[in-house]
Amino acid sequence: MTSGPGAAREVNLMPLIIVSADDFSQGREIAHRVAGVLGYRYVGRDLLASVAEQHQVSQEELVQALEDPPGFLTRRSRRQRLLAFIEEGCLQQLQDDGVVCYGLAGHLYVRGIAHALKVRIITEVGQWAQAIAESEGVPLERAQKVVERRKEEQKRWSQDAYNLDQSDPSLYDMVLSLDTLEPDKAVEIICDTAGYRKFQAMTYSRKLMQDKALASRVRVELMKSFPDIKVEANDGTVVAYLQSLKKDQRKKQEAVRQLAGGIEGVRHVEVHVIRDYFGQAAQSSR
Amino acid sequence: MSDNLQVLLLDDEPIVGRRLKPALAKIGCEVEVFEDPEEALARMAQQEFDVVVTDIRMDQIDGMQVLEFVRERWPRSKVIMITGYAMMSLAREAMEKGAFDFIAKPFKPDDLRKVIAKAAKALGSEIDFGAAEVDKANG
Amino acid sequence: MAEGPARPGGAPPPPGDELSEEAAAIEGRLGLARDAEQARRALLARPRFSLRLQIFLGNAIAFLVAVAVAVALIASSHRMESKTRFLEIVNDYVMQVEQARRFEKNFFLYGTNLSDAQDNVFQAEAILNRNAEELAAIMGADWRRQVLPNLHSYARLLEKLGQGAHRDQPVGKAERLKLQSQVRAQGQQMVSAALAVLSKEKAALSEVIARSRQLLFYSMGLLLVFMVFNAYWLGSRMLSSIGRFGQYAGRIASGDFTPVTPTRRYRDEFTELALAINSMIEELEKREAVLVQSHKMRAVGTLTAGVAHELNNPMNNITLTAHMLQEDYADLDDPERREMIDDVVAEASRAKKIISNLLDFARESGSQLEPLDLPHLLQETIALAGNQIKLSGIKIDFQSSGNLPRVHGDSQQLQQVFLNLILNAIDASHKRGSIHVLVLPADEPNYLAVKVMDEGTGIPAHILGSIFDPFFTTKEKGKGTGLGLSVSQGIVAKHGGRIMVSSQEDKGTTFTVVLPVTTIPAQLGSEKA
Repeated sequence: MTSGPGAAREVNLMPLIIVSADDFSQGREIAHRVAGVLGYRYVGRDLLASVAEQHQVSQEELVQALEDPPGFLTRRSRRQRLLAFIEEGCLQQLQDDGVVCYGLAGHLYVRGIAHALKVRIITEVGQWAQAIAESEGVPLERAQKVVERRKEEQKRWSQDAYNLDQSDPSLYDMVLSLDTLEPDKAVEIICDTAGYRKFQAMTYSRKLMQDKALASRVRVELMKSFPDIKVEANDGTVVAYLQSLKKDQRKKQEAVRQLAGGIEGVRHVEVHVIRDYFGQAAQSSR
Repeated sequence: MSDNLQVLLLDDEPIVGRRLKPALAKIGCEVEVFEDPEEALARMAQQEFDVVVTDIRMDQIDGMQVLEFVRERWPRSKVIMITGYAMMSLAREAMEKGAFDFIAKPFKPDDLRKVIAKAAKALGSEIDFGAAEVDKANG
Repeated sequence: MAEGPARPGGAPPPPGDELSEEAAAIEGRLGLARDAEQARRALLARPRFSLRLQIFLGNAIAFLVAVAVAVALIASSHRMESKTRFLEIVNDYVMQVEQARRFEKNFFLYGTNLSDAQDNVFQAEAILNRNAEELAAIMGADWRRQVLPNLHSYARLLEKLGQGAHRDQPVGKAERLKLQSQVRAQGQQMVSAALAVLSKEKAALSEVIARSRQLLFYSMGLLLVFMVFNAYWLGSRMLSSIGRFGQYAGRIASGDFTPVTPTRRYRDEFTELALAINSMIEELEKREAVLVQSHKMRAVGTLTAGVAHELNNPMNNITLTAHMLQEDYADLDDPERREMIDDVVAEASRAKKIISNLLDFARESGSQLEPLDLPHLLQETIALAGNQIKLSGIKIDFQSSGNLPRVHGDSQQLQQVFLNLILNAIDASHKRGSIHVLVLPADEPNYLAVKVMDEGTGIPAHILGSIFDPFFTTKEKGKGTGLGLSVSQGIVAKHGGRIMVSSQEDKGTTFTVVLPVTTIPAQLGSEKA
């Protein structure tokens, strides 16, 4: 690691910058350059190697979980588990501020964090299609169709995996269009914005990030036995929500307590058995 | 004045002051506690404090107004916001208005001590964190 | 507070007591299955007199009258026939007798044909004998004594005449003349007797004919009157029922779910309809209850966010105190420790109180009717919304005229209405605005009014009319269901009240809930008596 957490916390200024983009490679380039200009650490797809190793899965599978639109052959619970691995790995990295995060779907699970500056970089169909047409030597019309389909797929993926539409601008602090801005200008704007006091890290939002990281760590462990468990954490207290039939409620609750209790950082475990899953989902997404 | 850190603590919950005053005294802070924002503002009009700890949601005067007042009157002072009504928008607003830090209630005495130590460091004076270190071992 | 036992909704209120009647009506509107069951029993308890039965009976009666008329006509035509037959017989008889007399005259003049006359007399007697039965039927069993002696004496006289002729005037001229006049008188009498019978019977016949004509005329008239009456009755039965059901439909549409109760003394096909409507009402009421509950849970959700924040203060006090107690335990003296523990206990109960208000409100409970102190209920409601009010930075001001009568209703449901209005007012208000809540007697007697006034943006006139419509909302997507005011209106209507709105753009909006006052304590007293 380039800088220890202690060092980062001394300087109480740096936000997290979470970038996502319509066009993957353009977004990656801008995120890289922002990290370079600000001297922040870049957390991107490279992380997947260590995640894959830690959980004994292939890196390709992780990339597929992040990219493939939901289809007939999608194994949803498998994909959600892989995404949980990525989320856990990523949140671990985001405990330090002064990080630019890209390509790990962070914009869909880092929510309500005051010092996370969330940027969406959009590209209109026309320009993107032109780039594809040029680089791959296909007719423009076909490239346009490809682009349109890809946008639609991304939307469907986010809705299926996180129940959010990632093309909804209200998810972001800032939406930059590469149709009106040069990439240089976009980088400049992001760096300027990162300097606003508004996006500074503070005890409150750092604690929320710690809670999120703990929750995701516990969730990854519990998902082995309870694939659709939901976990919230607050200062070492973990609340797990799981669906259960009434008869094996006690058994499951006890099992969750056993599993979660052994995880580092967990002081107290509470298990809520829920029947109305959708209501719960709606509440936790508020 | 001594070289102790001068701290003003404003919260309309009396227990907060009663508990935090000795807690902060232990790390060498001189703490003045207020429950009424008007009185606190009057006091701050007279004297500069190194650190101001204020609740946000209070009757009559809002913690944000206290923050604005301090930032204008004593730009050097570090203002720490504590609130039970923590939300992202409120936190960002406080930071934008120049708060040094923002802590959500409920918090442990140590949480505030750490932030105050950080503020002291930013002000250029080290704090003896001895007492707090002992407690950490307990927790 | 005097809390009465739940009165059965269908119990008839004491007559003349208008207020308690009203209370019973409200109770009726609020009661659920119990009322429906009572209404069902009352509807079915009446004797059955269906429209089908009325149609059947009407037709049957008309048919029976027609049959009776036909029978009467057949009987009278039978009588006419027998009279005619009798007249024919008498006529034949008279003809024979007259023929006999003509021969008798010839005999007197020319001395011929006497045997012919005798022949005719035999013929006449033969006619009589041949039709003995008919004659007996009309003239009575002693007809022979009336008719035959004349005929026989005439026949004997003719025989005497015949004997005289054969002996070549064995009798003197005087005797012969005497005999002759005797024969004539006898013949004359015979003819006139027969003619008298004939004319008498003719008169009887024409009377029979006249009577049967009258019978026909009157019975047709009677039948016409009966059928007109029956048709009118049937029609008015159907039309009035259809009219009533139209009223029911309107009433149900306006949110009054009182079951249909009997209004007539008998039951019919419309009773089936009433039962169907009652079960529909029951179903609607169940659905409305679900709607009310789900809307309540939304309000609870809104309040929960505020409560969660509000809880942070006592939680913080407990956390700080507990940590300091842990840290300094050895250095503190007993009174200090005691004070800190007291603080923890007090703050814990404060936390409990913060939640318990909300829990009380959130608890799903059956419809419970009781006399309610509206100002008290509103104060509770304002306390419930307290965190939202605090969060929004809006001031709320509550005023109530002293000594107001109670209203009768479901405290949870009414609280839901007022909470909804207050939360709406908070949403509509500007930051640092204020909301006024008033309870006062309404303009009309025996009603109380609750006013919730904000100083917010107001509601534009063109949408003011639709704010109570279901699914109408001005809030952004995902923020409002558009059911709040619609549900509130339903609840208030069930309590026999109204909800009204007036608004001025940029000045603010006033919602007024008007509820009927009840004199339940007096009612309870009269019930005990």
